[in-house]
Amino acid sequence: MSSLALVGYFEPWWIQVIKGIVIFAVGLQLVPVVLIAERKLLGRFQGRYGPNRVGPYGALQPLADILKLLTKEQSRPSTSIGLLFAIAPLISILTAVAAFAIIPFGDTQDIFGTKVGLYGVDVSIGPLYLFAFGAVAFYGIMLGGWSSGSKYSFLGAMRGAAQLISYEVSQGLALVGVIITAQTLSLTGIVTAQKGMWYFIPQFFGFLVFLVAGFAETNRAPFDLTEADAELVGGYNTEFGGGRFASYYFAEYLNVLVVAGIVTTVFLGGWLLPFGIHPPGFLDPIVVLFKMSLITFLFIWIRATLPRLRYDQLMSFGWKVLLPLATLNTLVTAIVVVATH
Amino acid sequence: MSAVLFFIAAIGVISGAVGVVVLRNPFYSVLALVAHLLSLAVLFLLLRAEFVAAVQVVVYAGAVMVLYVFVVAYVGGESDSLGERLRGAGHGPGASRLRLGGAILAGALLVELLIALLGTGLEAIGGYGAGYAPGPEAYGTPAYIGKLLLTRFLLAFEIASFLLLIAAVGGVVLARRRGGLEDEDGREALTPLDLLRPRGTGTMAEGVGRRPS
Repeated sequence: MSSLALVGYFEPWWIQVIKGIVIFAVGLQLVPVVLIAERKLLGRFQGRYGPNRVGPYGALQPLADILKLLTKEQSRPSTSIGLLFAIAPLISILTAVAAFAIIPFGDTQDIFGTKVGLYGVDVSIGPLYLFAFGAVAFYGIMLGGWSSGSKYSFLGAMRGAAQLISYEVSQGLALVGVIITAQTLSLTGIVTAQKGMWYFIPQFFGFLVFLVAGFAETNRAPFDLTEADAELVGGYNTEFGGGRFASYYFAEYLNVLVVAGIVTTVFLGGWLLPFGIHPPGFLDPIVVLFKMSLITFLFIWIRATLPRLRYDQLMSFGWKVLLPLATLNTLVTAIVVVATH
Repeated sequence: MSAVLFFIAAIGVISGAVGVVVLRNPFYSVLALVAHLLSLAVLFLLLRAEFVAAVQVVVYAGAVMVLYVFVVAYVGGESDSLGERLRGAGHGPGASRLRLGGAILAGALLVELLIALLGTGLEAIGGYGAGYAPGPEAYGTPAYIGKLLLTRFLLAFEIASFLLLIAAVGGVVLARRRGGLEDEDGREALTPLDLLRPRGTGTMAEGVGRRPS
């Protein structure tokens, strides 16, 4: 066909197209669910009802939110830089959806005689794919803040940049322990390696470090200094309105789901159930979604519980507590694996 | 399909590289470099070097360029562009020597690249990439590269690690000598020992930079 290497996978192209559409649709449906769950739960945590006007039990609230945002005027400040201002939310949403593609929702299934893996791609580089898109996601926040031509946005973007660099290191090191134990980089391989015991028991410190770094990576409370509304109005997305703001919002919640999915896959055994229960294969995605919803609940719980950190606390916590802990975890894991192998 | 991808990525690589040199605003130059590096990662993917592609994005686009963007966004925005400042330097004292040195270095780089390019006899351009071979230790996978790094290229790998370590330590030493790493107004930073602090202490005092002992 050409003089270059051909891209070859064992799945036919039409399955890949269908999988792409399904994954995007699932992500698109999950975000409003997380939205309403967060608003309802925050209400309960704070002793109020939460949204209860739109639809039964307030369940149609996210629909109303999205309609409101999409029909709003897309204003932009006169100091902003047009092209970058338009591209930045796109980068955010693109990287979030791309990262969502590697979460395995189940083992390979026989569907109409064709073997289909219930995941977007099972890349041989596994978590590195995630970090690559995380690295590009930085430009979504940074360009959004910079091109707004506003001090608040710029400060928010700068904080986001520093925070991302600081916590990405610990997040990566926390996963190295798991990779050493599982001896594979493939995420489905990591899940099947957890048949004996889920990794959050032997890799408990890695689990903690990854979770905390995940809070910081997704700019969620108590690490939401990027958009600290008391100091920065809204941080990097201050000047965005309408559909562009909706894109940022969507990307943020999708990133929460991605972190929940990765934690589920890497530490909570993915689609495996404890006590040797083997459900039929079509139940695998439901198991994964249930575990993901537990982690998402933890995200919301922590947001309702903990106050926002101060900026220097955030930095010194990342570099002086999290990073040494992650490094120590990696070292000890490596020694234990070599000693018992 | 791969030919289309190749031409899209190649155009991205070349236009990114040209953009770095041509664009006046340093911020756009850095963004052009980011585009260049991302397109390069796509080329690596086409050669089945998935690991190299991911590392390219994580290390260069994700860490090195983030710092570039960070610095340029903070320090940049001056009225005179980089090119004008360089042209201004062309009239200062020692300018002719600078120009001569620049020309010599550029010539040396050209010769080196030509040796590398012509030395391969341009075979790589006409050839195929590595064949697709599924398996844990196939060509280009992390396991394969890791094994090579720890056996055949161990010495080079260790020397590079030491070089990076020296650079990191040197950076810290230089920053400290300039007074960049002093604690501001004597505020204590959070240390692992603070985790042992009794609950409910030190919240208000921390806010003003003091801590109950």
